[in-house]
Amino acid sequence: MEVNQAKQEHLLALKVMRLTKPTLFTNMPVTCEDRDLPGDLFGRLMKEDPSTIKGAEALMLGEMLTLPQNFGNIFLGETFSSYISVHNDSTQEVKDILVKADLQTSSQRLNLSASNNAVTELKPESCIDDVIHHEVKEIGTHILVCAVSYTTQAGEKLYFRKFFKFQVLKPLDVKTKFYNAESDLSSVTDEVFLEAQIQNITTSPMFMEKVSLEPSMMYNVTELNTVETGDEGTSTFGKMSYLQPMDTRQYLYCLKPKSEFAEKAGVIKGVTVIGKLDIVWKTNLGEKGRLQTSQLQRMAPGYGDVRLSLEMIPDTVNLEEPFDITCKITNCSERTMDLVLEMCNTRSIHWCGVSGRQLGKVSPSASLSLPLKLLSSVQGLQSISGLRLTDTFLKRTYEYDDIAQVCVVCPYMSRES
Amino acid sequence: MDNNETPAQRPVTLDITGAVEVKPSLSAAVIPPEPSLLPSSDVHFQEESIDLGGESFITPEEDSHSMPSESLMDKLNDQMMESVMISDSPNNSEEDDVVPMDNLLEQFEEREEEQAAAVVKETLVAEEKKEVVEEKVDDLIGQDTTEIKIEAVMMQTSPVASSPEEPLENVKQKLTTDDQDVITVSISAVTPEDSTPSSGSPKPEAAALETSSKGTTSKDESIPVCTIFSQGSQPKVQALVPDGFQPTLIKSPSFSSGTGGSTEITPSQLAPLVCQPSPSLSKFFSDSGHVNPATDFFDSFTTSSFISISNPNAESPKSAAPTERQLSASSGSSLPLQQAPVEPALATAPPQPFTQLQAVFSGGDDPFATALNMSEADKRYDAWLPSEETRKVLISMAMQQYSQVFVERERLAMPGLKFDNLQGDAVKDLMVRLMGEQAAMKRQVLTANSVEQSFLGLKQLISTKNWRAAVDLTGRLLTAHGQGYGKAGQPSSHNTDSLQLWFVRLALLTKLSLFQNAEMELEPFGNLDQPDLYYEYYPTVYPGRRGSMVPFSMRVLHAELPQYLGKPQESLDRLHSMRTVCQTILDNLEQGLAEDGSMINLTQENRQASLQLWKSRLSRVLYAVANCLLMMKDYVLAVETYHSIIQYEPQQKVQLLSGIGRIFLQIGDIKTAEKYFLDVEKATLEKGSGTTDTCVLMNRAFIYLSQNNYSDAHSSFAEVLKIDPKNPVANNNAAVCLLYLGRLKESLRQLEGLVQQDPALYLHESVLFNLTTMYELESSRSTQKKQALLESVACREGDSFNTQCLKLV
Repeated sequence: MEVNQAKQEHLLALKVMRLTKPTLFTNMPVTCEDRDLPGDLFGRLMKEDPSTIKGAEALMLGEMLTLPQNFGNIFLGETFSSYISVHNDSTQEVKDILVKADLQTSSQRLNLSASNNAVTELKPESCIDDVIHHEVKEIGTHILVCAVSYTTQAGEKLYFRKFFKFQVLKPLDVKTKFYNAESDLSSVTDEVFLEAQIQNITTSPMFMEKVSLEPSMMYNVTELNTVETGDEGTSTFGKMSYLQPMDTRQYLYCLKPKSEFAEKAGVIKGVTVIGKLDIVWKTNLGEKGRLQTSQLQRMAPGYGDVRLSLEMIPDTVNLEEPFDITCKITNCSERTMDLVLEMCNTRSIHWCGVSGRQLGKVSPSASLSLPLKLLSSVQGLQSISGLRLTDTFLKRTYEYDDIAQVCVVCPYMSRES
Repeated sequence: MDNNETPAQRPVTLDITGAVEVKPSLSAAVIPPEPSLLPSSDVHFQEESIDLGGESFITPEEDSHSMPSESLMDKLNDQMMESVMISDSPNNSEEDDVVPMDNLLEQFEEREEEQAAAVVKETLVAEEKKEVVEEKVDDLIGQDTTEIKIEAVMMQTSPVASSPEEPLENVKQKLTTDDQDVITVSISAVTPEDSTPSSGSPKPEAAALETSSKGTTSKDESIPVCTIFSQGSQPKVQALVPDGFQPTLIKSPSFSSGTGGSTEITPSQLAPLVCQPSPSLSKFFSDSGHVNPATDFFDSFTTSSFISISNPNAESPKSAAPTERQLSASSGSSLPLQQAPVEPALATAPPQPFTQLQAVFSGGDDPFATALNMSEADKRYDAWLPSEETRKVLISMAMQQYSQVFVERERLAMPGLKFDNLQGDAVKDLMVRLMGEQAAMKRQVLTANSVEQSFLGLKQLISTKNWRAAVDLTGRLLTAHGQGYGKAGQPSSHNTDSLQLWFVRLALLTKLSLFQNAEMELEPFGNLDQPDLYYEYYPTVYPGRRGSMVPFSMRVLHAELPQYLGKPQESLDRLHSMRTVCQTILDNLEQGLAEDGSMINLTQENRQASLQLWKSRLSRVLYAVANCLLMMKDYVLAVETYHSIIQYEPQQKVQLLSGIGRIFLQIGDIKTAEKYFLDVEKATLEKGSGTTDTCVLMNRAFIYLSQNNYSDAHSSFAEVLKIDPKNPVANNNAAVCLLYLGRLKESLRQLEGLVQQDPALYLHESVLFNLTTMYELESSRSTQKKQALLESVACREGDSFNTQCLKLV
């Protein structure tokens, strides 16, 4: 009993309510026809119901806003908004009221109150209102700590506080994968493709407003998520850009090293920072969330000591007709090399020219261009293989097979038929 | 349950509290002699902790149940802490009952664990370990201490769930098995194994888990839970197949803390999510584990011992099948028997003699004369296309070959009441409970007894919103027809009136959200295609009349019902077959045939009327399809379907386009919503009338709302009110905006004023819910204010009022 009396002694009451977006009221249409037993009764009841859409009562989604019905879930990147109301429940005036709202996370404590000034007086039945906003930046337990201090008319200083605990959950699952456009022609430009799988792991649909890749200073990025048709590109995800719970969507980006970086060494070595994904989504009535991934890092493919890439190759060639390709040989090692080129014929590819010729010395990071001639004796898509480079200093041989493909066609087909 | 641990933990917490720094800064500003406050046993100092975790709530019963032993100290502490209103659970918001805070938090943990246990049993141990950690935190908060030092513990709890081995394994797999170049972006920094504290044995928790799960099973058995928008529990995050993909750390862009590692979580560590708040009020209400009034009612008519005093006609369900005579004596006299005089005799007759009778009567009929008798309107409204099988039976019926027409019992619809009495008035019960018998005497509503036992009385009950009483009355009238309680499965004949009664009964049950009851009683009707549900089955009673005895609206109801019981796919199936029938009938009409495809010539006038009727029916079915899709959150198809209705109901174009716009707003796609709202503006310009301006303004307000611009949203709603001051939606929405602007008192005043001035418009579930929520936010005396609302409800509303929106329980 004593305890209960003590409880009554606080003159102020603190109330906190999370302000998620309001929801639209849905009604349940039950209709009948004029000839049915209730006649126009059901129709009239539905017309009188303020929550129905007048003229289209069978439409379920109404216009009436209802306040949030429960705390709901809060996800990383969303904004936590809360109404804090301090009400004078007593019959006497209270002075010097200070309301303080702090948010305790696992790593820090933040002050969320709009003002830290004390309110000089609060009359009975009146209240102090505050709406706080905070963009949630951490996962895990959060505790909203609301502290109220005030002075009674008798001059007694009182203080109390309340804790509100909630969990911040992760809204998205992001997985990334790099594809190096290496073994085909585009390796000339050192393009990298990034595939990002984004999964909605919340329980409500999410409208993906923006999923963009912010490249690091070394790269230019092209988004490959729209199909150009006429003036406007249409999204590859269809008309409606929302993601149902547990749905995953793939975003594709093409990254090209800026010329100044690409040419410096001919190759980008080791681990490079590609950039980060910036994701903005919206849910119910525009509730917004935003996240960024950490810097995405890519291990550049190891080219070994000597890298052989193609600078020029025709896509289609005639059967048994010599054609030219240009290879680029780059010394990726730290030492100077003395290279000998061997050309080995395969079942379909026949090299023209002398095998075993000296290419001379190549210093570190230097490269040389090498025009070669060859022909194919078999039709169809043929793989160019059989180049061997030997470093005479170390007596080490590097093999290059499946460097590129060409389509071999027979030019006489049409005449014969 | 944590008796084992608390003694061990306490000293630690005290140590930590000693070491904190933040408190002095606060107290220095406000309460100068802070030490003097604490030691003095004056209990001015209060602390509370409320867990806002998801939709959790605790009933007091559960508390006492799961917390049998507690130290005296704890109890004292707990008593001091009042439970406070928070936005989520109505239970927590009850000012007067003292929910011990420790219990509150622990309950939450238990529930969390329960969930996890349901999803992944094998991870139970990990969960329990985590719980220990959590409890430690709770203990810290639970103390009458001044500060909490939780960082260290928090770190450990941050991987919120499940299997400890998985994440590492995955990463390994990825690294080893993938030949593409995959780069580790982030690896989970914290594994649960490393961080589990050593103290605490899992056993007591396991026991507690059992008790609490028992608690929930009984709760689950509750009743007609409206399952709109219910979502299945989150599927367990599968162990990932090594696909070369790399979990990527995501963080808020402005997050600058250097402790990024601690927040990293691999996908498999994700906690099972708590269900999202549902947009439907009724879901919220039925979610509450409280024994609510609706539950009482349901229990009362399902338990066999219940005998209604107020309804002398109602017999106890034990004496299941009431004799026909008794009932017709009591209520049959006023039952309108518009059908053929043979009907009462036929009602209880077994099927064979009945068909014999038909055979006898049919001999003298002139088919041509009767065909003329059949009114065009009847034909139009009753038209339906039975299934092939049913059609054969009906044709042979028409051939009058009794011996050949043997319809198996299973092929007949043999309905009966599945529950007997639904009497009750939630408003009155609540008044008795809160204000005493005396105050409750003022509550006067019509009951099934106080009206004429006829269709007229039934209509009276419906229009006064006494739907429960109306359901009772339909029960009596159906009992008089021989389809009363326990008659299901027994042969009885149907007529127009009995089916209309069934329709009204089922429609009201649906309106009352008693979906399971409706489903039970609809079950004997099957798919509404039994031969005895067609007029052709009764050539003597309805000579020459053809078509479906089941009203179209009942078919719609039958199709819509499963979606409210969590079976939206079934609803879609039924609705699509209805749609096909409607479409075929329209095609028939357009090809110059009769509705059923026969070659009967229709006059131009009748054809037009029929086309119009069937178009409106088709659009009703399409509305139902779209509504169902919307519930399933299949927005693409829902929008498409709503759009397709415009061609049949061009006068509803504005409403439909606005509705589609709102769907997009709900998804969060504001740009597309704006496009649709622009179309609405164009459409209203075409109409050229000034009356639709409100619609445009309303849409604009919703756009502002979605941009977090509550002040402009408020002024748009206010503009609507300038044009249409009585618009309840704009009034309510303007008040809601005020709350988001931090103007609680104004908002309250506005809503309160509306409810007092125009109760007819504003005693609506949604408005009252908003109002009571604001009362709770405003002051500790919300209960009195809510009771005042209850009184005004008692003066106006019928027994179908949903008292849960007052949050008084």
